[in-house]
Amino acid sequence: MADPTALLLREQYNNPVQQRESSTFGMWIFIMTEVMLFGGLFLAFTVYRMKFPESFIVGSGDMSITLGAINTAVLIGSSFTMALAVFSAETGNRRMLSIFLLATMFLGLVFLGIKFTEYYQHYQEHRAPGIWFDYRGPNPGQVEMFFLLYFLMTGLHAVHMFVGEGILTAMLIRNRAGSFSAEYHTPVELTGLYWHFVDIIWVFLFAIFYVEGLHLHKL
Amino acid sequence: MAQPAVSRKTYAYTFGGLLALTALTTLLGFIDMGPMNVVVAVGIAAVKASLIAAFFMHALYEGKLVRVALAGGVIWFLILVSLTITDYIGRRWS
Amino acid sequence: MTPAVEVPVERNYLDAETGIKSWLLTLDHKRIGLLYVASVTVLFFIGGFFALLMRLQLLEPYGWLVGPQIYNKLFTMHGIIMVWFFLIPSIPNTLGNFFIPMMIGAKDVAFPKLNLLSWYIFNLAAFVALYSMIRGGVDTGWTFYTPFSTGFSTTYVSTAALGVFISGFSSILTGLNFIVTIHRMRAPGLTWFRLPLFIWSHYATSIILVLATPVLAITLLMVMVERIFRVGIYDPALGGDPVLFQHMFWFYSHPAVYIMVLPAMAVISELVPTFSRKPLFGYKFVAFASIAIAAIGFLVWGHHMFVAGQSMYSALAFSFLSYLVAVPSAIKVFNWSATMYKGSISWDTPMLYAIGFIGLFTVGGMTGLFLAALGIDVHVTDTYFVIAHFHYIMVGGTVMGYLGGMHYFWPKITGKLYWEPLAKLSALIVFLGFNLTFFPQFILGYMGMPRRYAAYAPEFHMLNVLSTAGASILGVGYVLPLLYLTWSWRYGKPAGPNPWRATGLEWQTPSPPPRENFEETPVVTRGPYDFGGLREELRLG
Ligand SMILES: [Cu+2]
Repeated sequence: MADPTALLLREQYNNPVQQRESSTFGMWIFIMTEVMLFGGLFLAFTVYRMKFPESFIVGSGDMSITLGAINTAVLIGSSFTMALAVFSAETGNRRMLSIFLLATMFLGLVFLGIKFTEYYQHYQEHRAPGIWFDYRGPNPGQVEMFFLLYFLMTGLHAVHMFVGEGILTAMLIRNRAGSFSAEYHTPVELTGLYWHFVDIIWVFLFAIFYVEGLHLHKL
Repeated sequence: MAQPAVSRKTYAYTFGGLLALTALTTLLGFIDMGPMNVVVAVGIAAVKASLIAAFFMHALYEGKLVRVALAGGVIWFLILVSLTITDYIGRRWS
Repeated sequence: MTPAVEVPVERNYLDAETGIKSWLLTLDHKRIGLLYVASVTVLFFIGGFFALLMRLQLLEPYGWLVGPQIYNKLFTMHGIIMVWFFLIPSIPNTLGNFFIPMMIGAKDVAFPKLNLLSWYIFNLAAFVALYSMIRGGVDTGWTFYTPFSTGFSTTYVSTAALGVFISGFSSILTGLNFIVTIHRMRAPGLTWFRLPLFIWSHYATSIILVLATPVLAITLLMVMVERIFRVGIYDPALGGDPVLFQHMFWFYSHPAVYIMVLPAMAVISELVPTFSRKPLFGYKFVAFASIAIAAIGFLVWGHHMFVAGQSMYSALAFSFLSYLVAVPSAIKVFNWSATMYKGSISWDTPMLYAIGFIGLFTVGGMTGLFLAALGIDVHVTDTYFVIAHFHYIMVGGTVMGYLGGMHYFWPKITGKLYWEPLAKLSALIVFLGFNLTFFPQFILGYMGMPRRYAAYAPEFHMLNVLSTAGASILGVGYVLPLLYLTWSWRYGKPAGPNPWRATGLEWQTPSPPPRENFEETPVVTRGPYDFGGLREELRLG
């Protein structure tokens, strides 16, 4: 029988190993660029956190640690199901692959749901920056800076989550069409890499926005 | 058929470790450690990130090239932050 | 290495398929390279047109052509178009795209679809940037400095920034593609130290593209957010810090200089050995110098901020590091010169451009050392000295490299020879016109003429007239190649596979190359620039 993977070998490559390694390496380079993209925002956060330590603690006082911690757990859970999806792909178990992809998508949506609930609360408390912002304490500009960075960074993260949901949907469709097997499942692996990376970003966002100022404000 | 890179057991342990670290960082967050709060929070986040990269993303099982790419991204981010922050710290001295 | 196959190829990449659609949907890296040539050529002449208007304005001290508002828009649009829509993509996306796979003996880049996507994104970006200009232009300067850009300018800053933002994705995709291609697609036997220096230099460029461009993207995104939502990340009125913008902007934009100049160095490193008939002197030094430039280039951005309120300790460190980055560049210049020494040099057009590059780049680099010195920099900051310096690097360096590369690779790309005497003449015109345009600006800057003003004091008149005269000569020098190269594509004499008797893999296949680049995957058995080996093969073959 002919090698089934030969059909999936695109013409610029000489063999499937080269193709797979190129794709994975390309994805890692892409992740490198994402590190730098979020890196600019983390830099801005560091600079202003150093400049306005008190106001940033005031700002983090409006964060709900409960929702934040739950959301972190949800997202870590989705990374776990994603890892199991990759495992299912590697073992050629298409049914389990679909199940785990769906589970990942579901947990991702739960995360986004909680996130937008939080956004809505901030908006109602006049903490959304710009024309919606209203803070009567000292240094409102500095507190606004905290919320600006919060919305920018978690917002960019949420955008990445939406993109991830889209990719997962595509993977689900392709899997149902029977595109993946134990021999060929590189796209699932790449999806996994992306999803886990977005999870890593959140781990840091959780640390700097929710945890770091926790000891200084009452619940 | 290729063997899966990482076993389900390892994934489960990683998942457990990540949940434990999330609980730990939240609890430690309530303790006032002065300037150490930032260090602990970001430090634990870095450990969690390493766990995700090493096991979920298979970085531990990949070749040198991938590890270089990963290290490159982190190092370049640190260059961006450290050289900029040095300026801000230096301005306080002048 | 297999010698050039003598059997005539029935279908080369140009007539493998025909029709507009076959070009717009092509996945062939060679055709995509040519699509980029078309795009950047148009944009180069648009950017050049703005420069021409500026030089005309400065013919008279008090300005006669346009008012200051329009003048501000002219230099901004000239800068934005030339930096992001010509210089950054000029060599990597055209010649790099075309020749990286060929030089490593591959059939294509690793991700052909991303490659095509990158071209579409680039055009979309250019369209958005041009749209901002049609709507009324931008007046911030190409640097988008805050707080002017975020809080005060009433022009189309967000649209222009969006154009640059989008172009970043094109850069990133290209850089990513090249890195993976160079790592994963090399022909059997082609080890790292057998790679042509063209590849090394493009590899270094790609690293900068993927590491620096995202930071520019996020920086400009924040400028847009600040303008659209009326919030203040950089706005001092809201507690923001405009210097943070400069840090982030120059973290990209200084390395961006190397995105522009490393590919030109890549071309020069091919030209010098070929036309001196000698292997490149100190191959490994030049190879590692490219990587060193890419790495150290990230540590020097603060030299753009010596007078911006940066701490003096940082200024000292950045000044020192800026001297350091001159070392690998100097190594390259020495090694090119050493290669030419006692070589049998032939003065073909590409070599003229190469020698022009070496001379002008050296002047640009040396004046860069002046600017890296804190004391001198304070004196000449924001004067025409700076303008002259970076035009020596970018026009004298990158554009010379681009034209040199175009002339060198033209016979391979089209299979035709251009008319050499006219090409030599226009190379000469470019060199003279360039120096006449920009050398007076060094003096002007030293005398204190500030940049970015629509008018100037009468004592600067004579030098400005000289500069404008030079610019018009330079313009002729740029239009000529456009004409005779296009003409030669149709009417030129056939070039044959290897008109320069060069050693690279790209010359061991017919001109124009077949769709798959090589009849069969080549196996490499010797290092680059092995002219003895080539002679041997030609005699045996
Ligand atoms: Cu610079």
